[in-house]
Amino acid sequence: MNALNRKKEETQERLGSKSLLSRMKKYRFLYLILAPALILVLVFCYLPMFGLVIAFQDYDIIGGITASEFVGFDNFVKIFTMPKFTKAIINTVKYSSVQLFLGMPFPIILALLFNELRMIKFKRVVQTISYLPYFLSWISVVGMFSAFFALDGTYNSFMAAIVGESYEAKNILTDADNFLGILFWTNIWKNIGWNSIIFLAAITGIDPTLYEAAMVDGCNRFKQVLYITIPCLLPTIAIIFIMNTASLVTLNFEQVFGFQNIYIQEETEVINTLVYRQGILNAEYSLSTAFGMFQGAVSFALVCITNFIVKRVSGVGIW
Amino acid sequence: MKRSFGERIFDVFLVVFMVLMCVIMIYPYLNQLAISLNDGTDTMLGGITIFPRKWTWSNYDTIFSNESLIRSTLVTVITVICSTVFTLVVCVGAAYAIKKKDLPFRNAIIWILLLPSYINAGVIPTFILFRYLHLINNILVYILPSAFTFYNVIIIRTFLNSLPVALEEAAYIEGANEMQILYKVILPLCKPVLATVALWTMVASWNDWTTTLYYVNEPSLFKLQYIIQQIIKQSEVVQKMVNDSALTGGSTTVRARPTSESVKAAAIIFSTLPIICTYPFLQKYFVKGVAIGAVKD
Repeated sequence: MNALNRKKEETQERLGSKSLLSRMKKYRFLYLILAPALILVLVFCYLPMFGLVIAFQDYDIIGGITASEFVGFDNFVKIFTMPKFTKAIINTVKYSSVQLFLGMPFPIILALLFNELRMIKFKRVVQTISYLPYFLSWISVVGMFSAFFALDGTYNSFMAAIVGESYEAKNILTDADNFLGILFWTNIWKNIGWNSIIFLAAITGIDPTLYEAAMVDGCNRFKQVLYITIPCLLPTIAIIFIMNTASLVTLNFEQVFGFQNIYIQEETEVINTLVYRQGILNAEYSLSTAFGMFQGAVSFALVCITNFIVKRVSGVGIW
Repeated sequence: MKRSFGERIFDVFLVVFMVLMCVIMIYPYLNQLAISLNDGTDTMLGGITIFPRKWTWSNYDTIFSNESLIRSTLVTVITVICSTVFTLVVCVGAAYAIKKKDLPFRNAIIWILLLPSYINAGVIPTFILFRYLHLINNILVYILPSAFTFYNVIIIRTFLNSLPVALEEAAYIEGANEMQILYKVILPLCKPVLATVALWTMVASWNDWTTTLYYVNEPSLFKLQYIIQQIIKQSEVVQKMVNDSALTGGSTTVRARPTSESVKAAAIIFSTLPIICTYPFLQKYFVKGVAIGAVKD
C-alpha cells in the first residue's frame, strides 16, 4: 500500500514538473511583457543594495567599491557620536512624529464633514477646490508661502490690520522655532483634501441598512457618526496608519529642503537633507550611505512592528 | 424628513466651514496670480491680495525671454510624454502577467516586485549605480528608474480582475493568442484605468525636481520645476544680501531692492497652470485610482 502511494506521488511529481515547463512555455508571452518590470526592479531597486557595502568601507571615489578599504562599523559609530547627525535624527523624529500622530485625524474629520454635506453640487465644488494644493509641486508651495509670509506679504498686512500700529513685520519662515509648525500646517494644507478621498470612499462603502437600523433606534446624525461611521472606518484608518509609520524616520525631502533657508538650515537639518548635503554635495559617500541605511532599516522595522501590533489588536494588516 | 434645530445650526456651520476652507486652499494661489500680474515695485509696497493693482505683463515677458526656462519646459514636456508611455507599457505588462493565477513562479515574482515599496538602498548607492550606468546627466534618468511602481500595477490588476472572464475565454475559443487577447480585447476596455495611471504619471513627472537635484548638473537637461527651485532659492540669497546690508546700516532704497518676487510668482504660475487648469475636468480619473487602491484583496 505504501509503495503504491509512493509510486503515485512520484508520477504526480513528474507530471507536475512537466506541466510546469509546459505551463511556462504556454505563458511565454506573459513572461515577455513581465520582463521590463522585472528588469527595472532588479536594476534600479535590487542592484543598488549591493552598494550598501560602502557603508562599511572608506569609499574610494576613484577606485570604486572593489578598491575601497573595509572599516567595519566606523561610519555608524561616527554617525551616533557626531552632533550634526544626532541632531538630524532628533529633528526627524520630532517633526515626523508630530505630523504622523497629530496630523492623522484631519483628513478623517474632513471626510466625515464632506459626508454630512447634503448639497451635491456644492459638495463637488468644495471637494475639487480642496484637491488643488495636492497637484502643486512642493517647491511651488514653498514659493507661494514664502510670498505669503514675506515682509510685504499677506500675513504681515493681515497681522498689522489686527494688532494695529504696534505690530512689527517679520518673516516667520526665518525663525527655526516656527519650522515644525510650518511643516505641519503646510502638509495638512497640501494633502488634507486628497487624503480625505480614501476615507470618504470607505464611508460610502458602509452598508446603508446600518444607518436605517440606527435611525429606528433613535440615533441622531451625530450618534450615527459616532457609533456607525467611525467604527466602520477603523480598518481603513489602521491600514493608512501602518503605511505611514515608515515615515516616522523619513520626512518628505522636497518639503523640508524647500522650506529650509540659510537662516535656519543648520538648526533644522533632518536625515534626508543631511544625506543629500553630505553625500551628494560634499561627496562623503560612505558616511551618508551608512546614515541612509540606518534610516531605511529603522523605517522597515517600524512598518513590520506596527503591522504586527495592529494585526494582533484588530486583525487588519498590510501583509 | 424634518430636521431639528440643532441639526440646522450644524448644517449652516458646515457650509461656513467649507467656504472658509476653500478660501484657505485657493488663496495662496490666487495671491501668486495677482502678484505675477502686478508691477514688481508696486508689489513691494505690500497689500496685494487677489487682484493686481498695477496690471502688467512684464513679469511674464521676463520669464518667457529666459532661455533656460523655455528649454527646461521642452525637456519637461518630452520627459512627461516618454515616461507616461513607458510607465504604461511596463505596468500594464506586469499587471496582466501577474493576474494569471497559474503563472509559474507567480508568488515569487509578486514578492520581488513588492519588496522595493518597503526597502530601498537610498540616495547614495543609487547615485553611484547611476554613475556606473552613465545615467548621470542623461535624460533617461527621468524616465527609466521611475517607470515601475507597484501601486500602479495593483490598480491596473484590480481593474483587470473586474473584467468578465468570459471575454477572454470567448476570444481564446475564437483562436486568438495571448497577445491578441491583450491588445484587441483587454486594452480597449481598460481605458479608464489607463487614464488614471497616465495622469498620475504625468503629474508626478511634471512636478519632479529632486531627480534633477540629485543626478543632473548639466543645465541643458534641467527640468522646469528645478528651475523654479533655483529661482526660489536664489532670490533667497539675494534677499539675505539685501537684509544684511540693511542691518549693517548700508543704504538700500526701495528702488534698489531686487524685485525677484514678481518674477518668481510668474514662474510659479507658468509652471503650475497646465495642471491646475486641467485637473478639475479629469479629477474623476485621479480619484478612481485612490478608490481602487483602497480596496484590498
